[in-house]
Amino acid sequence: MPYVIGDACVESCAKSCVDVCPVDCIYEGSRRLWIHPEECVDCGACEPECPVAAILYADKAHPTQDLLEAQVFFQSILPNRDSPLGSPRGASLIGPLGTDLPRVLELGPRKAENGDTSR
Amino acid sequence: MSVGIESSDLVIIGAGPVGLYAAYYAGVRSLKTIVIDALPHAGGQITAMYPEKEIHDVAGFASIRGANLVSNLLLQAGQYNYQLGLSEAVNDLETTANGNYRLTTTTGRQIDSRAILIAAGLGKFAPKTLAVAQGSPLEGVLHFVPRLSVLDGQHVLIAGGGDSAVDWALAAIPRAKSVTIIHRRPKFRAHEASVEETRARGVRIIAPGEIQELRGDGAIEAVVVRQPHAEDEVLQCDRLVLSLGFTSALGPLEKWGIEYVGSHIRVGPDMQTSRERIFAAGDVSEYPGKVRLISVGFGEAAIAVNHIAVTLFPHRHLFPGHSTHWTA
Repeated sequence: MPYVIGDACVESCAKSCVDVCPVDCIYEGSRRLWIHPEECVDCGACEPECPVAAILYADKAHPTQDLLEAQVFFQSILPNRDSPLGSPRGASLIGPLGTDLPRVLELGPRKAENGDTSR
Repeated sequence: MSVGIESSDLVIIGAGPVGLYAAYYAGVRSLKTIVIDALPHAGGQITAMYPEKEIHDVAGFASIRGANLVSNLLLQAGQYNYQLGLSEAVNDLETTANGNYRLTTTTGRQIDSRAILIAAGLGKFAPKTLAVAQGSPLEGVLHFVPRLSVLDGQHVLIAGGGDSAVDWALAAIPRAKSVTIIHRRPKFRAHEASVEETRARGVRIIAPGEIQELRGDGAIEAVVVRQPHAEDEVLQCDRLVLSLGFTSALGPLEKWGIEYVGSHIRVGPDMQTSRERIFAAGDVSEYPGKVRLISVGFGEAAIAVNHIAVTLFPHRHLFPGHSTHWTA
């Protein structure tokens, strides 16, 4: 475990995964979404929902770059924040973060906003 | 034993695939069994998350639709007497003077059981709701449709974008005065063909749209819907069906003094937890080498129940014999 999201999310950010997550562990950065590696319960509900196949399974014993980055996302202090996110145990409790991992912020602005009304 | 307290050999917590298969095995082993589940339907994760999807890794089935697997499991377990308590979750656990476990459930009933099998998966499922629906409850706001007749002649609004939202819409069409689906994303998770079918049959689809406010005095009368680049719209509504998926949490189980590994329960090779006569099987259990799959969960259910049988009745054999020799 757990599941991880890759950079393909930057172009889509459809958030259909957020709707199906039973433990509300998918957090919204300003450029893409992040699954919390410790809060994810490995149910797999999100994986088939992603329209751009950005969600993959990662084995903690053999961490992928995506998993390592997800850990950094939650453990480091992101730009414009005072403290690491840690484990809030509920993405909807804190809402869109308005920031992201520095590397991801440099990828440039997202193409479309998908007509989303939730922000 | 006090009056009003039920008794059993085994209480199985969770009526998902593993809990139901455990109920079957408990029947084989002649255990007096009660199964409890927080949802109003059996099937656990399958029913809550993917009833229409094909499952490909159940032994002997090249592929089986989730809902069909659940009905087969119910049929199999139903060969023996057991009690299935739905819409009921466990709260407190105490130990009685004679060493049994006394469970108190959310319906207030108490059960004295000699053993417990936790087959709780991800924990107790509860339907997701809307922030605007969390205040004082309005009549007509539903997370489950108890029977389709409650939709008869009503203005029905369904919130959600998955298969279950579309299924409720299709079921409502012949009965309701009007049917509207509101989904906060532009794209549905449900099959496009079924979304188109609802549209063709007169369902109004608002996607993306967000419910901003519920209006009504005691019972729901209208909702306010916001769409991008549009004025807020007030829609007449007698029944609002919130089909937004589920959250899960272990809840009270975490306070039972059982040893956990993260969000999973540590078990031994016999599936017993750190407390004697409390066992765990399926996704909730953890041991070295664990593989979290439905097919493994079925095996764990059989391991757990056969060990429970000999724990409660030491003169019995652990091995139940081959099923080809049984007469059900």
